[in-house]
Amino acid sequence: MTKWFEEVKNDPSNIVSSRVRLSRNWEEYRFPSRLDGEEARMMISRLKREFRDLPDRDGRDYEYRDLDSMEQLDRTALRERRLLSQTLAKKKTPGGILCSEDERVSMVLNADDHIRLQVLEPGLALEECYARADRLDDYINEKIPYAFSEKYGYLTSYPTNVGTGMKASVIVHLPSMAASRRFGELLGDMGRFGTTVRGVYGRGTENFGDLYEIVNQKTLGVTEQEILDLVSNVAGQLSAQERQIREKSLEKNRLMREDEAYKSYGILRYARRLSLKEALTYLSHVWAGIADGLLKPAGPVSMYALMIGSQPANLQKLSSRPLNKAELETARGEFLRNSLPPLEEGDAR
Amino acid sequence: MLCEKCGIREANIRYTEVYNGVKTEHNLCSQCAREMDLGAYSAILEGEFPLGKLLSSLLGVTDSTAAQQPQTEVVCPTCRTTYGEFIKNSCFGCADCYHVFDPLIREKIRKLQGNAAHTGKHPRIRRGSGAGAEVTRTGQLELSREEQLNQLKRQLAAALEEENYEEAALLRDRIRALKGEEKHDEVV
Repeated sequence: MTKWFEEVKNDPSNIVSSRVRLSRNWEEYRFPSRLDGEEARMMISRLKREFRDLPDRDGRDYEYRDLDSMEQLDRTALRERRLLSQTLAKKKTPGGILCSEDERVSMVLNADDHIRLQVLEPGLALEECYARADRLDDYINEKIPYAFSEKYGYLTSYPTNVGTGMKASVIVHLPSMAASRRFGELLGDMGRFGTTVRGVYGRGTENFGDLYEIVNQKTLGVTEQEILDLVSNVAGQLSAQERQIREKSLEKNRLMREDEAYKSYGILRYARRLSLKEALTYLSHVWAGIADGLLKPAGPVSMYALMIGSQPANLQKLSSRPLNKAELETARGEFLRNSLPPLEEGDAR
Repeated sequence: MLCEKCGIREANIRYTEVYNGVKTEHNLCSQCAREMDLGAYSAILEGEFPLGKLLSSLLGVTDSTAAQQPQTEVVCPTCRTTYGEFIKNSCFGCADCYHVFDPLIREKIRKLQGNAAHTGKHPRIRRGSGAGAEVTRTGQLELSREEQLNQLKRQLAAALEEENYEEAALLRDRIRALKGEEKHDEVV
């Protein structure tokens, strides 16, 4: 079964993926931070039982996994595929994840809130994500009554999620904008529109791979539609600006752009060892090259899927034994050599 | 420059506080700064920066005296979370906390969210009935008329509470128009 991220296109829209997350709590139970282990386990098993008919209702297969008995490596791999957050991947209390085969839909049980419903789609598709999440939300609500107040809306553990309980986000690929000196300033300015923009990979101010995620700040006093419009709008504007800069760079510095794309392609196609930073940087260059028509791969490839596949835990999962840092870099080189398709005949020279 | 608190060690931390638009600056050494409990900022000095602590600073704790205020004694009867604990972790223990702490947190939530009244979706248990939201073939999200009407009414109530009469008038007109359509449909 292909995963949703394998369907991400390398098209000139630069928009990678959309996500809608809803946080919900069961009226009957205290929030996760105040549940003891026994209560939490009981609640999770009741939820699991309630959701048994989900595959029939949603028309796709789901798999359930206990988080507390899961190996750290598997949790990290789930985080790299955006199914768990950083804090959830480390959490030790009882929890579970119910996930559709293609990983588009997932429900994390007893994390920050009792249920965190997530819907992911490739490209700009927030409305589709929400429509689906909304239907699933009603399905869940048929089974369990929600903690809800007329005034504060859906009640959540953290006041940052209360109200709609909804976070909508879009990932965009912004290699040219990120290279400009005023980019940091621009990201800071995004707060004024009620959105936060953060780098997807990298630490602190460093970003590898030029992927940025735009997410709404407010969840209370705004409707779901307003949140979707806001995030789509900001994502659309950033993507349009990126496209403009790229078009200009193709006019003015075509040779330089070609050189960057082919050089990076060459490294990914032939290197024997690659650090994560190197891999993400070159993948980003090749991605921009394909999107702008400079490189023509002979077969289909999702550069985003290659970025996810290059992450340590997902790479490690491909191997049957634990790898040290040097072995991991070798495995990364091998993975990318094997996954990157050749270029169309006559395109390589 | 020497630390303004101990006056012995060299100051290596400048702490700027903007409170109600008034800016004050303090020059401290790292040891005194650590002892002072600068709320969320102590986390930076400890080398970590958890979101929870950052939120706490937004929600209330700006100095250690807050811990001694009588508000700390408010306890949620359902989950035993105290107001002090809530402020410290920015985390509610159960749904009832929202009601118990409401008078204390109303303004803080308004500050955090820019608004204090929910206008979005309400839980709807609709066995067998049509969906509240559908995506049309062109990829547009379409809410059922009933859901649109409910949302508009909630937005209207929120606008009135905020005394935003211009917005309220616009919303009132949209509600009327939507209701008019409904009647028209019935006739047809």
